[in-house]
Amino acid sequence: MKKFRKVCRWLHREAGFLAVGLTLVYAISGIAINHAHHWDANYSRTEEVLQIEPVGILPTAEAEPLVLDRLGITIPVKGIWRDSETLLQIFLDGVQYDVNLESGRVIRQGFAKRPLLYDVNFMHLNSGKKIWTVIADTYAGILILLALTGIFLVKGRKGLSGRGGVTMALGVVLPVVYAVLIRIQ
Amino acid sequence: MRNVSILLVSIMILLLAGTAMADQKVYGKGVSGKELNVISEILADPDVFIGQTVRVKGIAVAGCAHRGCWLNIASDKEGQTIRLQVKDGEIVFPPEIIGETVIAEGVWTANQYTLEQTKAMCAAEARKEGKEYNPEEVITCKTAYQISGTGVLVVKK
Repeated sequence: MKKFRKVCRWLHREAGFLAVGLTLVYAISGIAINHAHHWDANYSRTEEVLQIEPVGILPTAEAEPLVLDRLGITIPVKGIWRDSETLLQIFLDGVQYDVNLESGRVIRQGFAKRPLLYDVNFMHLNSGKKIWTVIADTYAGILILLALTGIFLVKGRKGLSGRGGVTMALGVVLPVVYAVLIRIQ
Repeated sequence: MRNVSILLVSIMILLLAGTAMADQKVYGKGVSGKELNVISEILADPDVFIGQTVRVKGIAVAGCAHRGCWLNIASDKEGQTIRLQVKDGEIVFPPEIIGETVIAEGVWTANQYTLEQTKAMCAAEARKEGKEYNPEEVITCKTAYQISGTGVLVVKK
């Protein structure tokens, strides 16, 4: 048992150091994603209303240069779309203009990746797949290893047979009770 | 031990760099061929295409802001769009894709709505367009056609 505990301690220490960075990534992203129904964890968005001189209901080919000129857009656009008789949409990198040709009312919608959060969420959700799948699976394995070896690190009153056992039971009971509750709802 | 760690970290960085530099403009399975269906032709006779794999090209003009699970793709005819729906979480379209020209592939499907659902949809459409809405005028059930998407490729115009 003494040797087993020694091996556990070694594994826990070495794997623990390796897990620090990834744990922070998943924990920070976890909080952000938990509240995805409250906010967009990946992008910050802006919306403002502008007014330009109306160009009138013209064919798209004629309206397009006039609108671009009146909005002061000189950079190449990604795309332009005539959604309806009155609505012309202009798409640029990170910006979209919805232009009412009749009234000249313009809604400018912008978005930008949130610094750090976008990146950690990308990793957490494994949006890139490929190599990150291997890294994330390895990390999950390391977490299992940390959890199992952690049980045997301390012996005595503060270990599995004492206080440690009680807190461990609490950590196991919590998700089990929740799972039962959501099943019977 | 130190050399092994350095070697492992170097390999990992190289692999990550390779992944990051790879073509990231493919979503899902991408597209499997070059032949394209014309959106206006599909919409002109949508029932003919039900169950068929279709491949369309157009500007992505709207998308799901919350989960990135759908795109509206502009038709070759003004004012006409087609809906590309993907399984939640399987493919996630970022906001950057809006405005890009894409080729989308998937199976053309039809969803029949009840009269109640149709009325709710018409009410929402009328609200959006600022038009008046009279539920008594809605007497037929709506069928929503869409591409159940398997892949998207972002292309240059």
